[in-house]
Amino acid sequence: MPGDNNQVSRRRFMKSAGSATVVATAASSVSGCLGGNGSGGGTLRYGRSSHSETLDPQDTTSGEVSKVTNQIYDGLIDFEPGEAAITQSLAVDWSMEGTDVTLELREDAQFDDGTDFTADDFIATYRRFVDEEYEYHVGDLSSYGPFTLGNWIDSVEADGDYTLNITLTDPYAPFLRNLAMFAAVVLPKDAIEGDFDFATDANGTGPFQLDKLDNSDGRIKLTPNDNYWGDGPNVDQLLFIERGQNSTRTQALTEGELEIIDNLGPNNIGQVEDSDAAEVQSGEGINVGYMSFNQSRMEAFRDPRVRRAISYAINTEAIVSQVYSGIAEQADQPCPPALFGHNDDLSPYPHDTEKAQSLLEDAGYGDGFSFKLTTFQNARGYNPAPMSTAESIRTDLREIGIEVSIDDRQFSDYLTYTSEGKHDASLAGWYTDNADPDNFYYVLLHPQVESPEGQDWVDWDTEGYNTSNRTAWANQKFMDLIEEAQQTSAKDERADLYHDAAQLAYDEAPWVYIDYADEIRGVRNTVNNYQVSAIGGPHLHLVDVE
Amino acid sequence: MVSKRFIAKRLLLLGPVLFGVATVVFAILHLSPGDPAIAIAGERASQEFVEQVRSDLGLTDPLWEQYVRFLGNTATLDFGESYQIRRGAAVGDILADRLPITIELAVLGQIAGLLFGLPLGILSAVKKDTLTDHFSRVGALTGISVPIYWSGPLLILLFAQVLGILPTSGRIGSTYFIDSKTGFILIDTLLAGNLAAFQSAALHLVMPVIVLGVYSMAFISRMMRSSMLEVVRQDYMRTARAKGQGAKTTVMKHGLRNAFIPVITIIGIQFGSMLGGSVLTETVFEINGIGTLLVEAINKSDYPVVQATVLVFAFMYTIVNLFVDITYSVLDPRIDQ
Repeated sequence: MPGDNNQVSRRRFMKSAGSATVVATAASSVSGCLGGNGSGGGTLRYGRSSHSETLDPQDTTSGEVSKVTNQIYDGLIDFEPGEAAITQSLAVDWSMEGTDVTLELREDAQFDDGTDFTADDFIATYRRFVDEEYEYHVGDLSSYGPFTLGNWIDSVEADGDYTLNITLTDPYAPFLRNLAMFAAVVLPKDAIEGDFDFATDANGTGPFQLDKLDNSDGRIKLTPNDNYWGDGPNVDQLLFIERGQNSTRTQALTEGELEIIDNLGPNNIGQVEDSDAAEVQSGEGINVGYMSFNQSRMEAFRDPRVRRAISYAINTEAIVSQVYSGIAEQADQPCPPALFGHNDDLSPYPHDTEKAQSLLEDAGYGDGFSFKLTTFQNARGYNPAPMSTAESIRTDLREIGIEVSIDDRQFSDYLTYTSEGKHDASLAGWYTDNADPDNFYYVLLHPQVESPEGQDWVDWDTEGYNTSNRTAWANQKFMDLIEEAQQTSAKDERADLYHDAAQLAYDEAPWVYIDYADEIRGVRNTVNNYQVSAIGGPHLHLVDVE
Repeated sequence: MVSKRFIAKRLLLLGPVLFGVATVVFAILHLSPGDPAIAIAGERASQEFVEQVRSDLGLTDPLWEQYVRFLGNTATLDFGESYQIRRGAAVGDILADRLPITIELAVLGQIAGLLFGLPLGILSAVKKDTLTDHFSRVGALTGISVPIYWSGPLLILLFAQVLGILPTSGRIGSTYFIDSKTGFILIDTLLAGNLAAFQSAALHLVMPVIVLGVYSMAFISRMMRSSMLEVVRQDYMRTARAKGQGAKTTVMKHGLRNAFIPVITIIGIQFGSMLGGSVLTETVFEINGIGTLLVEAINKSDYPVVQATVLVFAFMYTIVNLFVDITYSVLDPRIDQ
């Protein structure tokens, strides 16, 4: 697929574009039967746990916002429905050589107000997001500005209306995937430089346009964008409806008040399964749940034998099957199986108390020790039962003489506490931003500072330390592999580097790998062509309702 | 008549009460764990970025400076902008959207409580120690004892899932989008001339109003019963009957007004608790009033919204109590002295 390799030749692109055309033709013939471009009719009601705090994709990191803005706006590049692969959107062709990225843009896209989309729109979008000198800069309230584009781009220039030349500060293989992130969608230049309120209004090139924003009742109504360049939408209106509690959302689905619901908890899956009118649909998630050892704080955790002992002692199989009710699979490395950076040769640490005890004795901790396990209180997708997980860990570790005290915190407090490195160990997890292995390995396990001579951990207070790495692990060999992978274009070579890194992270065990959670949705039987996506989307313009 | 001095005195007390509430809520928010900066910046943010956001929000200023700024802004009714609930929106606007929803619910709940609670209380008193009285008292006890988070889901199970005659949650059918003129959904749907939407809104309100109404009804009927029993023993009631007045006339003419005095207090307190009870009712039935707003704001460390919402709760509670006092003194002029 275009973009899976960062260096994509025109020939390869044309080949894949050809197959894309076949798929597109088939899809359009289906949508033709249904009417296409809004004429299929019906209402699609999507139930979710929170209302959008804004409609401005550059002023948030919230996934709830992206569910709506992804229907209204397009990025230069998009994710394939239900997959991690990237595909064309406003860009139809691209190449990346070292630090030079060239994108050929679509010439038939218009914003819903009828303005033509051009390269200048992306430049204004980019400047609004990251350029503090720009009069219309959005401000520094969302970390996605630097995270998505700002940290990597040196300059962006238009070559005519439909070619973009981007120069990166350094070679950065995941860059094209960053362009597919929801925060990088293209906003119209006229609106950016005009008096347009992106927080409450919207004007995009996507399949839907904003019709009503009802903040009082947590509802958003979208209608088809007549100027949309692609297939669909197949419904007359798309409603996003807030139903905060899982149980209420599930009841509303089974009673026919909603067509699709997300964030389905383990307790509600049976309720949907028992219903004749709806079914559970799941997809492979791109996330990881784990327990991190803070090596900067706990001397015992600096010994890999202790970390491995704990990995053997904790029964992650029981956690996944019993505590998480089987909606996740056991993890064995940082990168989930959906991505090419996952090493299939590895398998989860088995539950082996004797081996754990023996490793502890070898490390000089045969009499055990104690530590505090910090956790968040409320369920997250990668950890639907954090308190029960912590309890389970405490019980398992008591068997090898390690006493665990549980320190549970409200989520924002938990984030502050652990990002300041005050935890001994913490339960943690991560959803992907761009479905690239780098987003796990580099972001979560690279310290982004020099590793001190002769040790594989760093002091938490080291200037510039990457606090998303909640372990303070700084293994030079691992860091070299990740840096090389980050700058390598060829996918196969990158995969090899990541597989080596996965093996190292498995052996050294800076985390206890717990789970990769599935993406679970409840869908009524009247809904067709809905695909569960772990990244991007949801691609609701392809959905029709009987 | 109520003297102006009485009202002025009570209004003057509003200031210290709200000042006290503002101080307490500010202290609790800033002393309790939770970091709005990291909630805004997101978990992807670097430490430096979070520090920057914290500084932009003024959260790195000395606490007393933040407190003085907060009091100054509050005094001019400037509640600031929301951090998270609706990013950058004026908190006053958010409250203006949400407050009518809670008031509508509380008023309807109170009306339902009064409509059923008063006659039930009177009936119970008049027919003391009969089967009617026993049923009424057991009903009242049950109404007070059953928590909303239990009765709410039970009603949803019965009316929405088993019988399928009422919607599970929300304030109106999802496809009705009515322009908000007053914020009260029943009035707005009528003003829009959309009877189907009105019907939908009314059906959505049935269960929340029952839940709130039952609770209120139970209190009111108990109080009305005991107050009425107290009154019927009074000399003037006996005198009225001795003058040849019928039992019904005596109760309605002489009994009710006197029996109402303590009941009015209960109604006032009830209305206040109903605003508090709205937190649970709104959560159970997924209604976006200020009850759910407060819970959401606390969860998201949205300080300006929490502060403003608590102040609004306190203000409303105080105002309702003021009205109770005024009504009280109208019914019993001795209070004003």
